Amino acid sequence: MDSRWRSQQLKNMKKTIFLSLSLVLSLAASAQKLSTRSAEVSFFSATPVENIDATNKQVSSILNLENGQFAFLVPIKAFQFEKALMQEHFNENYMESDQFPTANFTGEIADYKLISLEKDAKLTLTLAGTMTMHGVTKEIKQEVMIKVNGGKLNLKGDFIVLASDYGVKIPTAKSDNISNSLAVKVDATYD
Amino acid sequence: MPLMTKLYFLLILALSLNLSAQDDLLAELEATSLPATEYAFATWKGTKVVNLQTNEMPGEGVLQYTILHRFGAFNQDFVYNFFGLDNALVRLTLDYSPKDWLNVGLGHTGFLKTYDAFAKYRLTRQSKGEKNMLVSITGFSSVYYANQKFNDNLERATNTRFSFVNELIIARKFTPNFSAQIVPTLVHFNLVETPNDNNTVFALGLAARYKITKMHAITIEYVPQFNANSFPEFGPSGAITGASDFTNALSIGLDIETGGHVFQLFVTNAQGVAEPYVFAQNQGSWLEGDLHFGFNISRVFTIKKKK
Repeated sequence: MDSRWRSQQLKNMKKTIFLSLSLVLSLAASAQKLSTRSAEVSFFSATPVENIDATNKQVSSILNLENGQFAFLVPIKAFQFEKALMQEHFNENYMESDQFPTANFTGEIADYKLISLEKDAKLTLTLAGTMTMHGVTKEIKQEVMIKVNGGKLNLKGDFIVLASDYGVKIPTAKSDNISNSLAVKVDATYD
Repeated sequence: MPLMTKLYFLLILALSLNLSAQDDLLAELEATSLPATEYAFATWKGTKVVNLQTNEMPGEGVLQYTILHRFGAFNQDFVYNFFGLDNALVRLTLDYSPKDWLNVGLGHTGFLKTYDAFAKYRLTRQSKGEKNMLVSITGFSSVYYANQKFNDNLERATNTRFSFVNELIIARKFTPNFSAQIVPTLVHFNLVETPNDNNTVFALGLAARYKITKMHAITIEYVPQFNANSFPEFGPSGAITGASDFTNALSIGLDIETGGHVFQLFVTNAQGVAEPYVFAQNQGSWLEGDLHFGFNISRVFTIKKKK
């Protein structure tokens, strides 16, 4: 009776060890997954009548250096404008953020194997994937600058986004104030 | 390696592989980094429906100027009075939000040469998520001083010229297009016409809006009183022939938003413009055709920038 119990216990222990080992392995795999919750996305609309800019500091992102996959998630209501009313109109009349509360960009980094956290470097790499905004999904390719400094990875990019590509209509009466072509900047430093 | 352990190992490996798929990266972000509470915004386009306040107020650091106009009634020599323009009543206000939740202002109304000061303060905000709140509740309090000169040689003590209004605005944005509010309202006059009249009149404002386009909305507003006072009616000879209750203000309007302005065009049976006269001393009746075309126009100026 006693020896049977003991062998059972031994078996259980072995199982636990293997289990922990495999858990550690899977954690090691995800150690190459970098993330941030305070990436910045800003946009700028320039017209002869007025310039509009807004910044969002609550953008989150994950980079998986194992397979080059990435994701960005942008909560639309977190864009901060200089003028409260502009912010309200942006959400209410253009982005319809009650209906479409977030935008996202997911895909793969081409040549992600060039990225190493071990040595400082500056790389220009291409992100290819899909951007979803205002309920519309589009395939895009975008060059970004990736900088590794002291084991920290920073990603910077300049995009041109056309509001009309994502079904955001700017009425003719407003086209003097709001540009259809928006200069979008991304700046993410990963933990 | 025992079979069970192998299976566990495979399972965990599969899980960790699965986690790195793209959609799961996004799902992971959605699960961990979205704001926990979402607040309703833009329940109304303007800070007023027509005569009632809304739960909206200008953002922090924003100065707002409003011009409120009530033209002469359709049944008051409408064309002779240049479509009511010649006997229009006007009210002007200037307000400022020192805080996100507080707005204070001053106003002047032509009727009885009334000066007023008011404050609007947010108590709750409609929200969902971690913090669930069904409605936005906002308070509005104002004090009015009627500076009209009278040539009846009766002396009027300063305190008799004051009146007060309190509104508790309980608003909800039901859908992006449809919002409604109920507004328990209290109007107090320091002086009333007769000893039988109520100094304090209670009313319950009801209002709704429906957006027909992104920039346009239809609004309707009704403010029934519970203990309305009455006013004398005069016959052709000038003699008092009877009395009627002050009527309840009913208004139907169109909001037009153009960037920094909100234009509100409407038809109302209340011409007094300032709250006490509109809610508790209104003699106009829809049934008798005492209808006034009117507009509220607002313009905002950002004094203190947010960034």
